[in-house]
Amino acid sequence: MSTLDRFESVFNAASREVFARQPVEIGRVLVVHDLPESRQDDFLYLAKGFLSVLEAPGGPEWKLFGGDTPFGIREVLDAVEQAKPDLVVTYRDLHGAAGEWPQSLGRHVDVLTQATVTPVLVLPCPVRGNMPGHALQNTDRVMAVTDHLAGDHRLVSHAVHFTRDGGTLFLAHVEDDTVFERYIAAIGKIPDLDTEIAREEIRVRLLEDPMEYIESCRAGLAREGSQIKVESRVKLGHFLSDYRELVEENEIDLLVMYTKDEEQLAMHGIAYPLAVELRSTPLLML
Amino acid sequence: MELIMIAAAGHAVAEVAPWITYLFTGLLGAMVLCLALEEKIHAKKSVIVGVTAVVALLLGAFTGILPFGAVHLPNGHEMKLPVFIPGIEWGVITIILGSSLFVDVTSKSGLFTFIAIKLTKMSKGDPRRLLWFYGVMTVVFSAVLNNVTAMIIVGSLSAVSLGKLGQRDKLLGFLLVEGLLTNIGGLLTLISSVPNIIVGTTAGIGFVTFFLKAAPYVVVATAVTIVMGAKVFGIESLKTDEERAVALGQVASFDERDGIESMGFFWFGGAMLVLFICFIATASFDGWPIGKLGMGFVAMMFAVIMLCKFKSSVGKFYSGIDWDLLFFFVYLFVAIYAMEQAGVLELIGKGIAPIIGMGAKLGGGLLLVSSAVASSVTDNIPLAAVLSNILDSMGIANDSDMWWSVIFGANLGGNLTPIGSASTLVAVTIMHKHDLRISFMGFVKKALPFALLHIALATVYVLFVLKHLPG
Repeated sequence: MSTLDRFESVFNAASREVFARQPVEIGRVLVVHDLPESRQDDFLYLAKGFLSVLEAPGGPEWKLFGGDTPFGIREVLDAVEQAKPDLVVTYRDLHGAAGEWPQSLGRHVDVLTQATVTPVLVLPCPVRGNMPGHALQNTDRVMAVTDHLAGDHRLVSHAVHFTRDGGTLFLAHVEDDTVFERYIAAIGKIPDLDTEIAREEIRVRLLEDPMEYIESCRAGLAREGSQIKVESRVKLGHFLSDYRELVEENEIDLLVMYTKDEEQLAMHGIAYPLAVELRSTPLLML
Repeated sequence: MELIMIAAAGHAVAEVAPWITYLFTGLLGAMVLCLALEEKIHAKKSVIVGVTAVVALLLGAFTGILPFGAVHLPNGHEMKLPVFIPGIEWGVITIILGSSLFVDVTSKSGLFTFIAIKLTKMSKGDPRRLLWFYGVMTVVFSAVLNNVTAMIIVGSLSAVSLGKLGQRDKLLGFLLVEGLLTNIGGLLTLISSVPNIIVGTTAGIGFVTFFLKAAPYVVVATAVTIVMGAKVFGIESLKTDEERAVALGQVASFDERDGIESMGFFWFGGAMLVLFICFIATASFDGWPIGKLGMGFVAMMFAVIMLCKFKSSVGKFYSGIDWDLLFFFVYLFVAIYAMEQAGVLELIGKGIAPIIGMGAKLGGGLLLVSSAVASSVTDNIPLAAVLSNILDSMGIANDSDMWWSVIFGANLGGNLTPIGSASTLVAVTIMHKHDLRISFMGFVKKALPFALLHIALATVYVLFVLKHLPG
């Protein structure tokens, strides 16, 4: 290794990502539903109760769109365009038979999360049972997940905004061990690189960056006088099973993640499998 | 060194036929040409000079010009050595080997990166202040370590910190100014650059004298270069409070302790560096035993002390030694030794005698400028080695300004072209690594005003100021 590269690596490692909280303002909320009129107020009450964290003095203005008369995706997008909300609240299987096709979020929600720039809160289907006891009570335990946590100020800022005072914010980062092992296997075939050193150094580096960033989030929130407790969950493992395990084990009330990807129309990276699989967990999809 | 001097004294140059001298002169010319075209012919310096040394020794043996025979030791004993061994300046070799090992091990303590990041944070992310801090740091690191290591440390930090500050467009200006300053910092002490070591040891200039004589020029040239660099490359201070607040937050996220694995070793490294400089400074005083052992011994002693920290894994430091550079020196000394026996140095000496004969002012000035021009297109180390041998053989007094003309010319010539010195080459390498494409002529165009100013300042300084300074 050249001396130039060695020093550049040292300086790169010393350059930390420090959490800088970004402003999040939720002034208007649009609730999109397919419920009959008789049940609309109940759902609105449920949503408001769940998002009581937003109900500060001068809290958001809530609007309803939809009903049990079928409507198309275009109409939903037009409603979002017109209302210009800061948050869309809806639920999976909108205009679909609940639980009939568990392989997707439903056509309406799939498109809604991708075709608008507004964050979408996807709740479990209100007509489906089997929800955990803590579900939809409040946002005491919020988890932010990503495949690249370090420096992701927007994601963490949203997660902080939706966590109740005195609640717990879980910042999770799982490095995919399948990809990791594939790279190590490639390194194992390169005579100039020591495989064991590479395995250890890369593993430590991959996990150290998010851990340091989480520490800076904890310190930053403490400096602000926030009552939110920050918990770190960083590991090398399997995306889906580990995130599912973390969500269940920590009784997560709300999962915050990215869904949009500038380079593709489809949902971002790990977001889609998580969104489909975690059917009883509310998801804030940015 | 004493062994070398006695050996050299015993190897007086005999009368040599002119055709032999011209043959060896041609060989020297070919070597210089190959060194200038090193990149084109894809050959390392050590190989080019090694081939020259082998050919020179073979020719020397066949033409009978080499002084075969025993070497006389100070205690009266005789010793059989290969004919080329006494030609090697082992003092220079041990200084380079010892100090590069010492710097390499000391850098593991995180000391240099700590200083570099601390200064970055002190700049609060303001580009103009950053240029001043990095500029001064380049000069100090070049003086204390060596100009290549200084360029690597400051250049790589510049790339990382300017990237973080969103000021990547200023990287070219920073790297160019830092590259130029390495050669100015290289003038500060006797051990800052190889030409200093070669010329200084030949002329018998002590460490302290060297520092006292060179420091005023280095201070002025550094300030002028930074001010000019800021103007030429548009490196301005931040204007609004908002910009300053953002920049402050960005540099504050650097952790200067990241490279420190053990605080104990960190402090030990710092203390050893201070002691190293003190010992090197006093190694030129003959009045005490360390002075008799010389700077090469001091450098090796400190390298060994630092290596004790990694006593079970010293192999990685040995493999990190720049063997190309060390063998380059060994072969170069052998080649020059053979050239000396062939009368080549005497011939070149006759060539530059008219310059020297022009007197202290005009001659000294011309020698400085011609040394600078020569070292801009070829390696300044052979130039310094050849010129110092010639001045020595011409009996130039140790306190003559001619020695300083060679020192200043050989160092500052490196600022004229990207191949003029190893550190400017490192600067260009960092530029290319960060997609800042700059051609040979592009570099010359940008560096020329600075280099001309440095040479003009140096000429005035050597001719009119130097003799009034203590030392």
